[in-house]
Amino acid sequence: MTDCASCADERAAGAAFCEACGRPLGAPCPNCGAPGGVGADGYCENCGMLAGRPRDHIETDFGTVAAAVTDRGRRHHRNEDAMWLAVRGVDVDVVVSDGVSASFDPDVASEAAAGTAGALLAESPDVSTAILGAKQAVAGLASTGDPRRATSNPACTIVLATVRGAEINIGWVGDSRAYWLPPEGPAEQLTEDDSWATHAIAMGADPIAAMQDPKAHAITAWLGADAAPVLPRVGAFTVVGAGHLVLCSDGLWNYLPDPEAFASTVRAHLHAGGTLISAARSLVEFANAAGGADNITVALIPVSSPPPAENTGTDIDSPAESVVKE
Amino acid sequence: MPYTAEAFQNEFLALGATEVNAIITVTSSGSEGGRRTAGATEIIIVDASGSMQAEGRINAARQAAKAAVECIDDGVNFAIIAGVSTAQQLFPAPGQLAVSSPETRAEAARSIDRLQASGGTAMGAWLLLAAQLFAQRPGDIAHAILLTDGDNGERQGYLETVLDSITGRFACDCRGVGVNWKVSELRKIATAMLGTVDIVAQPSGLTAAFEQMMTKAMGKTSADVQLKVWTPVNATVRFVKQVEPEVMDLTGKRVEDGPRAGRYPLGSWGAESRDYHVCIDVAPGAAGDEMLAARVSVVEGDTVHAQSLVRAVWTEDSALSTRINRQVAHYTGQAELADAIQSGIEARKAGDDRTATIKFGRAAQLAHASGNKATEELLATVVDIEDAATGTVRLRRKVEAADEMALDTRSTKTVRVGRSQ
Repeated sequence: MTDCASCADERAAGAAFCEACGRPLGAPCPNCGAPGGVGADGYCENCGMLAGRPRDHIETDFGTVAAAVTDRGRRHHRNEDAMWLAVRGVDVDVVVSDGVSASFDPDVASEAAAGTAGALLAESPDVSTAILGAKQAVAGLASTGDPRRATSNPACTIVLATVRGAEINIGWVGDSRAYWLPPEGPAEQLTEDDSWATHAIAMGADPIAAMQDPKAHAITAWLGADAAPVLPRVGAFTVVGAGHLVLCSDGLWNYLPDPEAFASTVRAHLHAGGTLISAARSLVEFANAAGGADNITVALIPVSSPPPAENTGTDIDSPAESVVKE
Repeated sequence: MPYTAEAFQNEFLALGATEVNAIITVTSSGSEGGRRTAGATEIIIVDASGSMQAEGRINAARQAAKAAVECIDDGVNFAIIAGVSTAQQLFPAPGQLAVSSPETRAEAARSIDRLQASGGTAMGAWLLLAAQLFAQRPGDIAHAILLTDGDNGERQGYLETVLDSITGRFACDCRGVGVNWKVSELRKIATAMLGTVDIVAQPSGLTAAFEQMMTKAMGKTSADVQLKVWTPVNATVRFVKQVEPEVMDLTGKRVEDGPRAGRYPLGSWGAESRDYHVCIDVAPGAAGDEMLAARVSVVEGDTVHAQSLVRAVWTEDSALSTRINRQVAHYTGQAELADAIQSGIEARKAGDDRTATIKFGRAAQLAHASGNKATEELLATVVDIEDAATGTVRLRRKVEAADEMALDTRSTKTVRVGRSQ
């Protein structure tokens, strides 16, 4: 790296970084390249383009225990996904939330949901309590901040999981997903989307036609002030053998609707990268290369049963087996 | 001065869209203790042309001027100009300003009693003298009241030349008494001088009008507030309009201020709130691009009082890009309402009843839909509104000149919209 006068000046001045995008103040604009172009509010003083936000790309790396990446994607102006990943010893709590873009400030909703649920899981590993707490936090946003929130309140999905040894508990509202990825064979979707398509298929519609319907991805349950009483859907299972728990937003699974393709793609990235974080990162790159039409979040957690293991694979409880009413 | 600037807009644009609209609400809670941050100078210009003798106008003007003088705070500089074929300073001695006190106000009242109506109308000359007097007090909150009852008698183009040379030096509220003056002429002055224009149909209404204008002027505590608009490269400001309390196009008043920024004069301010419509043309972005289309600041000299951002975000999601922002839609309608009324009046004068009916119909529809009751009532004096919702109107055969002039002068008055989206 060559010596840069502006960088030297910055170091001398105690390195001022932009509060909006995290770039050093005076850095060239990533859009038009104007030197020293990015202002304190994150917009280029020349071309006006937003240089970026801290949430555009976030990585969380817990080595061999867990890793997660969230990314803005290519077609949305901000990242409205949010995630929470906490590791205590071998215990893992993970939350993925996806803001409903038709609502106001969906990025605030997903951040509130992930943060609240994550903090509740740290207190007690009860997934229903965590989801209901997140629901309350998101619903409360409607009456604060921008007055427009009152008419189109912030809303989001949520999927979360706790890993305690070989015991996995999951819960969700909306269409963010959890998968179990065995060493071979198709991935097992642990969640059932609260979406129009899933509902239509359950009612007997042709699955292919239903998924192609413009309403396919319209979600039928969410967190938000206008949401119907939330019934968190939960599931619990004990891992037998080894595999990966994968949580992701639709920014990834939209490009891998087929469980077979999902499994082989995720496995290929796990093998290629060597580390969890590089696999998560390259899965995000995969989704971006495929179009990056939505925000992308993916979390990877390897889980194995303590030996001796049974050889029957996984044992999945009915996702809706324990329903908690609000 | 505690100012706030708040932007209301739908920042989401469809791919290919390049027009960014926002309403900026600027509010000031006024200076501390309501004290002025600058000195203040008031000049009252009273038409003393021969025609003012009719209908007891000159007597009413004397009473009104005296009432206005009574409203001037102690310590404020003031002068009174008698407008005839030339400008004559009625009070104090020519070329001087008085400092308001009970004594000087009483003296001024005695001078006003000597005001006689005889001579012509030379608004350019009156305004020029006012500008010369104001020039003694640079930095003051400078405000004038101009009263006339007739057409300007100066040679064609002279008034415009004067206005070009004095614009921005002071604010001028214009009032026409009776119906023999031209709305377009006084509007020209008010527009150039960031003031208001209105009709006082009956001389008996002058005192109240003068008191109201002077009281409002005394509430101003800051002299020269400006809106600074920064735009990125390849972006242009299509317009900057004040849209509340009344429509006033500021686009042409831009003064460049460094690269990519310009300042628009907002005049003097007290504790008040006004809305501005800013429209920017930008280069189109790609899906997911977010651009700062304008950084809008309320400034006084080098001091930035408040700032708000006008953004553009391109999206493929039509649910977002087709959202109507209530403020932008409302004020776009209010500006169209003023245009429709003024076009309707012009068409009617030109004998083009068909165009007039269409324009007034549209105006009735807009006034009704936006809840602008005052304008709707004024419209009803010029047309019979059969169905406001559909804009069905019929021209009235007989229209009082005063009614049509009131509709014309007040066509720019707007109403506010609720604050939620």
